[in-house]
Amino acid sequence: MTQAHQAQREWLQALLQGAPAAAGPEWLARMHAAARERLEQLPPIDRKQEAWRYTGIDTLLAERFVPPPHREADLAPEERAPLEGLETWRLVFVDGRFQPHLSALEGLPEGVIVGDLRSRETHRDNLLATSVAQASGHHAHLFTALNEALADEGAFIQVPAGTRLERPIEIVHRVTDASAPWLITPRNLVLLGERAEATLIERFSGRPGTRYFHDGLTDLVLGRAARLVHYRIQDESREAWHLSSLRLDQAAESRYEGCTFAFGARWSRTEQNTVFEARGAECHLAGVYLVGEGQLCDFHLDVRHEVPECRSSERYKGVLFGKGRAVFDGRILVAKDAQRTDAHLSNNNLMLVRDAEVDTKPQLEIYADDVQCSHGTSVGQLDPQQVFYLRSRGLPEVEARRLLCLGFASDLLEAVHDEALRHHVESRIRQTLVLEGG
Amino acid sequence: MTETKTPMLSIRNLHATVDGKEVLRGIDLDVGRGEVHAIMGPNGSGKSTLSYVLAGREGYEVTAGEILFEGRNLLEMDPEERAAAGIFLGFQYPVELPGVNNMTFLREAINAVRRARGEAEMDAVTFMKKVKAAAKQVGLKDTLLKRNVNVGFSGGEKKRNEILQMAMLEPKLAILDETDSGLDIDALRVIAEGVNALRSPERSFILITHYQRLLEYIVPDRVHVLAQGRILRSGDKALALELEEKGYGWLLGEEAVA
Repeated sequence: MTQAHQAQREWLQALLQGAPAAAGPEWLARMHAAARERLEQLPPIDRKQEAWRYTGIDTLLAERFVPPPHREADLAPEERAPLEGLETWRLVFVDGRFQPHLSALEGLPEGVIVGDLRSRETHRDNLLATSVAQASGHHAHLFTALNEALADEGAFIQVPAGTRLERPIEIVHRVTDASAPWLITPRNLVLLGERAEATLIERFSGRPGTRYFHDGLTDLVLGRAARLVHYRIQDESREAWHLSSLRLDQAAESRYEGCTFAFGARWSRTEQNTVFEARGAECHLAGVYLVGEGQLCDFHLDVRHEVPECRSSERYKGVLFGKGRAVFDGRILVAKDAQRTDAHLSNNNLMLVRDAEVDTKPQLEIYADDVQCSHGTSVGQLDPQQVFYLRSRGLPEVEARRLLCLGFASDLLEAVHDEALRHHVESRIRQTLVLEGG
Repeated sequence: MTETKTPMLSIRNLHATVDGKEVLRGIDLDVGRGEVHAIMGPNGSGKSTLSYVLAGREGYEVTAGEILFEGRNLLEMDPEERAAAGIFLGFQYPVELPGVNNMTFLREAINAVRRARGEAEMDAVTFMKKVKAAAKQVGLKDTLLKRNVNVGFSGGEKKRNEILQMAMLEPKLAILDETDSGLDIDALRVIAEGVNALRSPERSFILITHYQRLLEYIVPDRVHVLAQGRILRSGDKALALELEEKGYGWLLGEEAVA
């Protein structure tokens, strides 16, 4: 065992020992025990592994994280306020802990369950226990196993067959307490029945100065012909680490449409996987990331077509405006039997500073012969002609550059159906881009 | 004419280089308030360079001389400051801005200029009224207002879009760089009407053109011939007709002798 591996093991052990055994239902204890076992067997994370080649974890390992206490917490009025013009059903977590008094769940249609992983309502028919047991164990690396070894909270959402939700469901994570480096481990589960339709919005943020590791794990299970639109806004504290690992399980003719907007965190990684095992399903993944000074932003995507007639796309755009690094590893695999597949993969990057870095690795692997596939990657700069054109019309240089950056991402922004949400994201992009001249 | 007053724009002994090569080699030009000046000349004579130097484009280095605009040293101002001061450049090749909505662009530009002048932003209703009226005047289809700036526009539509921006920004000095190039006669007429509608005792124009044709529709007060980086001759509109007839060769000949 190398020294680095030894350090990883010690870091893990310290975390696990520091975590009190959760008092909870038996299935939760079983999940924890199984995950602890997996942690023993999993190989350590190593830069030699392709999945971690560009994404170092040294800063994480240097931190002594602790699980946050279970407690009721409050938010300032401006933190509590919903996004302007956006009406949602809302689950609110503060410092990693579910806050029923800040959540808004009134008026959910019959049969729809939106709650915390542990709350009594989600326990109906032992549903949760079975679902978690089914979903667990697919995610195979140290941090996802760590999530399951410690998770005792998270969002649980179930929409029964045929139900179409009129409002989005929102999961809000806010960190307010800067007194310790928290390890936040939500285990989320979203189940859509046949033909069910829903929009899910996840928002992650932290007060300036808060340090924490959000180590989230989410299973999204879509029944036959179900539709899920999923927006994720990663706006974490600039001193935070954020990992979201999402696994999709899609039945025939289901459609998933996901878009991640990543602004915050010093270190962030989004993993998203789906395997098409039933015909006619669609999975569209998109993302816009802004990377500034000292930030690392990583996307690892893996879509596998095992059966015919499925459609998928991965479209990601990044703006690097400070000395930071973006990693894009997007794979679409089309197996031999996956005829009549439609798959498109693109990653475009705009480098506004000289010393930013992008490691982009789009992989379109095709083993079938009757397919419609395309891919494209670019790394470029703002066109000085465009900047001058805008300035000659009176826009200050910073505004000109901002407008062009928004233009660069506009196709992905316009794909956000909800107008209030789109405005929020656009204004966050404007605020986030600190653009120097030149 | 306003010879007795200070001109709006005063260029003295202007020398400029592009990529180390001297393109402007001592330009002197005065443009009075409300005047229309035409600058003609062969390809490569420095006409576009002059327009870019006036608008403040990077990469055009002024090595000698000065430019005063309403008494202010233009060369010390950023392009956006010049726009706010009232200078507008209609581009020979209008730039495409993918992903930037034409309407958003116009609104941002107008409000940026107003903010820089310490004025209140234009409210949405006034803006819409103005933009519709201006689009109608320059013959730009409403659908193009909703598209991205110049993306997928025909050559003529791009030029109309330039004039639309001019109409919205209401500059004091508009420099139109070969706005007539690539236009058919109908488009030329519409654009000339757009320009003529904006003519006023307070607004001046510099029309940069190859051809006398534009000047049939927009009658200039002065015509200048720019060649080899200098103004070789100035005159009234009759000079344009003479150039149409004789070409530039005779002037270049004079220069060679001189």
